[in-house]
Amino acid sequence: MRKQRGLSIFVLLVFIFLCLPLIIVTVTAFGENPSIQFPIEGFTFDWFKKVFEISSFIDSFFLSLQISFLATILALAVGVPAAYALARYRTPKTAWLKSFFLSPTVIPGVVVGYALFQFIVVQLNLPIYQGLLLGHFLISLPYVIRVVGSSLEQLDFSIEEVAWTLGCTKVKAFIRVVLPNITSGIFASFMLAFINSFNNIPVSQFLSGPGVSTLPTTLMNYIEYNYDPTVSALSVLLMLGTIVLMYLIEKTLGLASVA
Amino acid sequence: MSFVDLEDIRVSYDGKNNILKDLNLSIEEGQLVSLLGPSGCGKTTTLRVIAGLIEPNDGAFKVEGANLTKVPVHKRNFGMVFQSYALFPHLTIKENVGFGLKLRKEPKDIIHKKVMEMLEVTGLADFADRYPKQLSGGQRQRVALARALVIEPKLLLLDEPLSNLDAKLRINMRLEIKKIQQRLGITSVFVTHDQEECFSISDKVAVMNQGVIEQFDSPEVIYNYPKTEFVARFIGFENFFDLTLVDDQTYAAPDGSLFKTKRAWESTKKVGTIRPEDITLLEEQSEQTVNTLPGEVKVRTFLGKSYQYEVETPLGKILVQDGHSTAYAAGDKVSLYIPEEKLILV
Amino acid sequence: MSKKTSYLILAPGLVLLLFFLILPLITIIWPTFYNGGITFDAYLSFFQDTYNVNILYRTIKISLMVTFVSIIFGVPTAYFIANSPKKWRGLLMSLTLFPLLTNSVVRSFAWINILGRNGIINSLLLATGLISEPITLLYTEFAIIIGSFYLFLPVMIISLVGTFENIDTEIMEAAETLGANRLMAFIKVILPLSIPGIIVGSILVFTGTLTAYTTPQLLGGNRNMMMSTFLYQNAMALGDWQSASVIALIMIVTTMLVMKGFNVLASRLDKRGEEYA
Repeated sequence: MRKQRGLSIFVLLVFIFLCLPLIIVTVTAFGENPSIQFPIEGFTFDWFKKVFEISSFIDSFFLSLQISFLATILALAVGVPAAYALARYRTPKTAWLKSFFLSPTVIPGVVVGYALFQFIVVQLNLPIYQGLLLGHFLISLPYVIRVVGSSLEQLDFSIEEVAWTLGCTKVKAFIRVVLPNITSGIFASFMLAFINSFNNIPVSQFLSGPGVSTLPTTLMNYIEYNYDPTVSALSVLLMLGTIVLMYLIEKTLGLASVA
Repeated sequence: MSFVDLEDIRVSYDGKNNILKDLNLSIEEGQLVSLLGPSGCGKTTTLRVIAGLIEPNDGAFKVEGANLTKVPVHKRNFGMVFQSYALFPHLTIKENVGFGLKLRKEPKDIIHKKVMEMLEVTGLADFADRYPKQLSGGQRQRVALARALVIEPKLLLLDEPLSNLDAKLRINMRLEIKKIQQRLGITSVFVTHDQEECFSISDKVAVMNQGVIEQFDSPEVIYNYPKTEFVARFIGFENFFDLTLVDDQTYAAPDGSLFKTKRAWESTKKVGTIRPEDITLLEEQSEQTVNTLPGEVKVRTFLGKSYQYEVETPLGKILVQDGHSTAYAAGDKVSLYIPEEKLILV
Repeated sequence: MSKKTSYLILAPGLVLLLFFLILPLITIIWPTFYNGGITFDAYLSFFQDTYNVNILYRTIKISLMVTFVSIIFGVPTAYFIANSPKKWRGLLMSLTLFPLLTNSVVRSFAWINILGRNGIINSLLLATGLISEPITLLYTEFAIIIGSFYLFLPVMIISLVGTFENIDTEIMEAAETLGANRLMAFIKVILPLSIPGIIVGSILVFTGTLTAYTTPQLLGGNRNMMMSTFLYQNAMALGDWQSASVIALIMIVTTMLVMKGFNVLASRLDKRGEEYA
């Protein structure tokens, strides 16, 4: 295709717009000045050290990992069979049921967080941790239903039927024949749900308390009171994590399936 | 100077491999010229150079003497029919056909008149207000044609327009296209890989292979007098064997057999070939005469109106198609008669 | 699969959703309608307070603006990406995807650096002498708009790339052979066919901006609240559950209305595609 100068320049500017802010953050992470500066004076890794010294960052990081991992696993455990049931047994109600399972996406995150906080913490008096876990489960479930659901739609179920004729029970056939053919969908939804849960703020904001706080929440609270390059450093670390994850996804699935 | 001239066209995407090189083609006004060849031979690339969708790295494209090489697509006024028809899904048939006229800012009543006329001619008047997805393949093809013709283009370009149609429809449509082309007298370039389709409607055919035009002649000439081995193979010649000139019109094969032929272009050509159906099978002969070969039938296949034989001869495997009532069986010893008016050198 | 089995499999999910999403929602929303008897007082008083209405108005206004600007910038970019050679496409998509996968706190923080009083824009303007005092860019509606735009532009781009890829290139070429230059062919042929994709992208961007929390909180502050930060303030800072619940329902209803509205728009535009010829 012949090149369009105008369009190319326009798109270049758009990408500069997308990348520049994050590049600026990265640069400020290395400045020596205790307040954020750009361009930076000096060069140091001190702020990165400081990140690891702040216990609330470390604790909340592990909490986030734990919550997101558990919530995603739970979402898979509930969601994969559900997606299978929705794909295999079609009735006029199926579309409605699917929308029901996807309903958390229609409810604003802050509302989900608030509702759960009210219900679980205030009314049921359960610990915040449980509320947090449930909240993340709720927002992860739709990813599983949607992504695994579309994998299943592309699956030719005759392979399951052949397995039955060859002597497999229905459960065995599901495990041996259906699951292996939707692994990429399962993995993709795991990655998407995990990343989304890890990065989530609205739900986590409501469901945090002493000792129970996800990393994004901790970071956000930190910014409100401290505006220093520690934030930049932590941001850089998070971005590195994202890059690693993207690399992993590309190597196993290809980013195309995630986008 | 012809109506359309392609001069020394070179097209290369990566700078190293040439899709087209030193391509020259001249088309007279009012002719329907076909570009024929296997996939990858460059015929579609050539058509797209003419359309302006590809700019050649070297060379010139001229129409009536004017150099149009740098002129952008939308200014060339060439109607094009794509293989996929490329109808606009969001417009009705009437709007599809009128698209080009609307761009040319013709008055609404004129557009309506021209579009309806064209729809009548192509038998689509009943579908004017329908959408492409409501039409069959054959109907969509006619819409694509109508849309390209209504703008009264200087050239009509067709990129394998019939490939997606079933056999019977293809035969009907190609006649339609020819009729319309002749009636309008519009110079046309037609790309196809189907030899029969091409020969039935073209005034001239350019047989292409790997970016080069191997022969550019009328269908009759190509059919009877292929110039190169590639062209011969493409149009159905089999059985290629080396020949060396012995004396005036007599050639010798590697095993010593002698052949006369009336169809040697130049005496430098050294490969003889003949169509399987032009060889006659005879009973085994005691003596080998000129233009015969001894052989043994290896495989016999029944084709319906004739048998196809694979015969092992001193020159290798020869394919013969014989409609004789006498059927030979595998293992039979036979003689192959290769008439001098059917043997051709490429 | 029998009906019974399928419901058995769906049961855990259904129960969890019913119990931990629907039920909590009902428990917070029900009190807003019931005060001895069914009443709409809570909502009436909400809408009577101009402070509240301003916040709602601001939220919708900003969401519309962000959506509009995302379309303007997203459409050409997505088109460019969809038509790029394969080796570039992967890189460009990764560059688009990367901000999306980066935490929104980080992304909003990036704009604090740029818009703050000591931020880059002010430093540049002061250094070049164009201004003598730093201008307030942070904690304004503008900050929220640009922060949200930064957040959601990739969403629009990615939505649209798929749409453009599905449009047959030959259609564009056909339009060109009929006399349309690149721009005309794009406007008259490609754009109408990409409307469904634009609608999908718009729904995501609009509802995203409408309900986002981080960006308004970090870039808007308490002077420029959006519905989401307003809800948080009422619930957690003021302890005003009633107001918080009222806001919650209004947010849900607004989101649903918008989605419905866009979908209706989409189906209408699909039928009357010729409007865009």
